[in-house]
Amino acid sequence: MTAIALQPRVHPAVEGGLQLEVTNVSRETESIVSITMAAPEGGRLPSYVPGSHLVVQWGNGVNAYSLTGSGNAPSEYSISVLRVGEGAGGSLAMHRLCVGDRVYVARPRSAFAPASTATHHLLVAAGIGITPVLSHARAAVERDSTATMIYVHRPDAGAHVAEARELLGPGLIALVECTDRGSFQNVLAEALITQPVGTHLYVCGPVVFMDAVLEEARGHGWSSARLHSEAFGAAELDAGEPFTVHLARSGVRLEVPAGVSLLETLETAGQSIPNMCRKGICGECVLPVLRGAPQHRDLYLSEQEKAANNTMMSCVSRSNDPELELDL
Amino acid sequence: MPPAAGNGLEPGFRGVICVSFGSSDDTALPDTNGQPRYDLHFESATAESLSELKSVLSGSRVGVRLILAGPPTDIRAAAAAAADCGLLGEEVTLLPQETGPRFVYCPHCLTTTVDEAAGTEVKCQGCATTLTIADHFSRRRGAYLGYSAHAEEAA
Amino acid sequence: MSSTIIETDPDAALLPERIRRFPFPFASDTYRYSANVEPATKTAPTEAGAWGAHLVDIDEHYLDELAERAKVLTRDPSRVNVLPHMRTAVWDALTTLLSSMAEDYPDTMSFHREGNICRWRNGLQNLEVEFTVGDDSSLPEGPLRFLGTQIQDDIILLDIREDTLWLDAGLVTFAADWSFAFDVGMNFLEIHHPVPRVKEERITSRAEQFLLRLQPGEQFRRTNWTMTIGRRMDTSTETYPEWGPDRTTIADDPAMPEKLHLRVEVQHLIRLPHSGALLFLVRTHLLPLTDIARVPAWREKMGHVLAELPDDMAEYKGIIRYRKAASDWLLAR
Repeated sequence: MTAIALQPRVHPAVEGGLQLEVTNVSRETESIVSITMAAPEGGRLPSYVPGSHLVVQWGNGVNAYSLTGSGNAPSEYSISVLRVGEGAGGSLAMHRLCVGDRVYVARPRSAFAPASTATHHLLVAAGIGITPVLSHARAAVERDSTATMIYVHRPDAGAHVAEARELLGPGLIALVECTDRGSFQNVLAEALITQPVGTHLYVCGPVVFMDAVLEEARGHGWSSARLHSEAFGAAELDAGEPFTVHLARSGVRLEVPAGVSLLETLETAGQSIPNMCRKGICGECVLPVLRGAPQHRDLYLSEQEKAANNTMMSCVSRSNDPELELDL
Repeated sequence: MPPAAGNGLEPGFRGVICVSFGSSDDTALPDTNGQPRYDLHFESATAESLSELKSVLSGSRVGVRLILAGPPTDIRAAAAAAADCGLLGEEVTLLPQETGPRFVYCPHCLTTTVDEAAGTEVKCQGCATTLTIADHFSRRRGAYLGYSAHAEEAA
Repeated sequence: MSSTIIETDPDAALLPERIRRFPFPFASDTYRYSANVEPATKTAPTEAGAWGAHLVDIDEHYLDELAERAKVLTRDPSRVNVLPHMRTAVWDALTTLLSSMAEDYPDTMSFHREGNICRWRNGLQNLEVEFTVGDDSSLPEGPLRFLGTQIQDDIILLDIREDTLWLDAGLVTFAADWSFAFDVGMNFLEIHHPVPRVKEERITSRAEQFLLRLQPGEQFRRTNWTMTIGRRMDTSTETYPEWGPDRTTIADDPAMPEKLHLRVEVQHLIRLPHSGALLFLVRTHLLPLTDIARVPAWREKMGHVLAELPDDMAEYKGIIRYRKAASDWLLAR
């Protein structure tokens, strides 16, 4: 019955994270539920940057959802999940969560942060895209900053509308709700030509929606550094494809699964590889490559060294070929 | 001729604000490709002229661009004021005159000296220390770093 | 690059704490700039002992160095500055570090937070304060000055925007030959402009890419080093006329081994959880050559490093006039 029973092992993307308990589930709209989680023993959770997302494990998969709080010393994390019929199943699993269920989550990750120097924030959301934008609005209120929100949703299907309205005041100075395309076009066009110098724009919603908003903003002379859009996971390396390594000296073959680094695989197999940062910058874990093309993902090797394909950084780099041969 | 400073900027301006300092005239400023343009001219970047620039900028709207022409010291001070108003680096174009004085910051007495010569040393106008001018520049101060030139010479 | 197995000398237990806890930076007989970053709070063994278990390290110089910092700040208030958009980051740094200290030193320190109300106790200073996160007036001289009275580290806060890092706040009283007041407001490349070799060796851009990718909550560290004459913490550009002349006389000074110190900075890089700003802590450790020489492996490594260091690096570190004298003394022991 509980989700935990369906989770045979912790996914690499949430390893070293937190185990939380679902403390509230509430229906926002017909297809959106809000899920609140807290530490089972109570107490504070790590703070997060406004606009952050939370990677949550469901069964064997993981999904990222925007956190809707301001992120300042929270005791609970809240996300809202839109049920997607044809997704990989994550949203359906999330919709089945009940109070008391335990879930694994990674520490919140930031990829849609407010600009600290902004003199005003123009927040634009469509549908479920309200979630990170609500986080921004709450932070603006707390930080004595100002924001304007434009929220596009279907009639009577706006999630978090009541919360957004409650924020209205000296922080969130305006909330414009649009329930049809035409009115949104007019509201956006007017907003884009009337913002004080120093305003930054944040947009979250379907990709086509975001692209249209950003393109229109650029057309009105907004420079790209003022434009922010939510792109899940842009700051993190993806798990990569599985590959095989052949250790030429010992004749051993090892499988490197997706989400596990070559360095970790070698360490698990008893190899001692010098390493320091494990982030592809210090250069300590360099390995000699005899055959195969590494997929270089480090910051250490120069372009020439990468092109030569005879060394690789085992902490972050993977393989473009199904098999790599290493001089180990 | 540019309009007298401080009047005439329509509310919500989103075109190009062209500011020239000193003897540089607006023929030095580029064509703005048909964008609405607003010209300002100041003798130098004083507290008064910078506050006027700031009030012009705060009356304008996102989309505005700023072009600054004149002596390096003046346009850098103006650029720092523009940054305080929320303009980003890519929205400001600097057209410095090739010659002109530069500012040198003395960390020993916190005074900024105007250096008219183009040498490697200058005498601090605050503490009279001879300063070596380092190749280290602060956009915020519009100044180069100076440091005591002869501290490591035997007395 | 190779890693060296470091074994603690069996006689090391007899050495005083200042030597056993010193973060000796040389792993071999040569030194070059590198992005020598590693995860924070991992104990690092040395031939004389170990260092690095705690994020905020408190040692026997705690009260002296804090008193020295207060004097520097009274003389020269330009050593602290917070650009207005960095207020959230300053509070984030304060709450992050106080709670880390309370965890590391539970016998003397405690930190409790309810909403934005915080209570901090520091038994080393007989101090108990209550303050409100976000309310600058709730601490006598504001949150950054207050943090500077609790930790020995210099504090630098970098804002992340427009795909780069901006040095937009800090409290720096123990700078090694740079001026915080001048550098405030600069971006990462501008700050590092005067450092030789670093540009050619792509270290700056690599380090910047690394820092930009850190996620909130992540903590890393590295060491850097130079040399200082006398136990002088404030070797900023501001006071250069006071300490610069010592560089010309030290090589011929019979008291060189007592006066000349290896200056090691343990630098922490922390992406703050709520503001997303990067906190850069610089903790300065000084140890005289006479103490270095009490550890045979240190004496030899440092002697060789000083002898081998290329001139441009020795010049930049300000040690070129006396590094040979220091090397000769160390290797002749």
